[in-house]
Amino acid sequence: MRPLPDARPAVAHEFKSARPGGRTVCVVHPGALAPRVYRGLAEALPEDDGLTVLDLGAVPEYAEAALTGGRAATTVEALSERLLAALRPAHRVHTLAGWSFGGVLALAMVHAMPAERRPERLVLLDSIAPVDGYKQPDEALDPALLLDWFAMYLGAKRQRDIEVTRDTLSGRGTDDGLVAVLDAAVAAGALPADTPLPGLRKLYDTYVDGLLRNNRLTAPHRPEPAPLPLLLVKAERSLVPGDATLGWPSLAAHGLTVRGCPGDHYTMLSRPDSLDVIVPLLTAS
Amino acid sequence: MTAVTAVTAQQAEEWLIEKIAHRLGVPTGEVSREVYFDELDLDSTEALILAGEMENWLGFELSTTTLWYHPTIKDLASYIAEESAQRAAAA
Repeated sequence: MRPLPDARPAVAHEFKSARPGGRTVCVVHPGALAPRVYRGLAEALPEDDGLTVLDLGAVPEYAEAALTGGRAATTVEALSERLLAALRPAHRVHTLAGWSFGGVLALAMVHAMPAERRPERLVLLDSIAPVDGYKQPDEALDPALLLDWFAMYLGAKRQRDIEVTRDTLSGRGTDDGLVAVLDAAVAAGALPADTPLPGLRKLYDTYVDGLLRNNRLTAPHRPEPAPLPLLLVKAERSLVPGDATLGWPSLAAHGLTVRGCPGDHYTMLSRPDSLDVIVPLLTAS
Repeated sequence: MTAVTAVTAQQAEEWLIEKIAHRLGVPTGEVSREVYFDELDLDSTEALILAGEMENWLGFELSTTTLWYHPTIKDLASYIAEESAQRAAAA
């Protein structure tokens, strides 16, 4: 990789411009997957509608925290201001959406917007609400849970279904569990057979630092209820599969609608059958 | 391996070139020591796996941002040699 100053991409990726009369969908993306994961969404939107992705991975104080131990010297509020500044004033956003931690940022952006710039809808893509009861201290993040999410993430990156479940990982420590993930990833063709365990450990540690960064940013954040209706799209294999609303009811003063979509937390962004569900929800009048 | 004996820049270069060539499926002669890591056909997953394998070989941890600040095989090998020498001297 080149040194940071040359490598830093723009925060706002305009995948597709809205034509006159079309609407703009804006998605807040918290990294983990490359922004190109939204190409399929851009292609699936109605012809006249546009898509802009706001990539937190391009915000240095956020992105570098995943590489330096998971502590970001910023706040949800400061990040939301940074994202709003990246939106061109001419961009009248019809729908603001946020995937995963991006949903927390999207809500903060709505609060920070002048009322006349607010979108018509806020769509939360498998996002966990920043409310007590859904905030976890770092030590509460069980290795089996993290390893299950990591396998899901790795499978999405490699476009392979890595067959390892939370049940099979339960009770194993990180080292032992990573061996199971490595075996399953190799069996699925997601990693070469000679992938060394210390290499996978480095990838896992960086992934977990990214989660911890988001967890720590969320912990002190106390949002007010949303000033507009909320729509939650929950993946079939969500980060929290047994929870119907992911904690959003207490922030939904103007109503909460929940819809399910195929795929897991990561593949929901690119699977055609998932986009068949998501696109109409993003573009409804 | 525990790096009580310092790794030289040449050893680090050879190690990196061999691993990268293997990952890319090309002869070692096709991997230039001057090439930027982001010009190689390695994605971020492969780069992190390589970094973890390298740490295991060196016996000490490298900051994940090391690849950003030492963006070629030549630069990184030189940095590794300096870091390794300091650790060997302190051991």
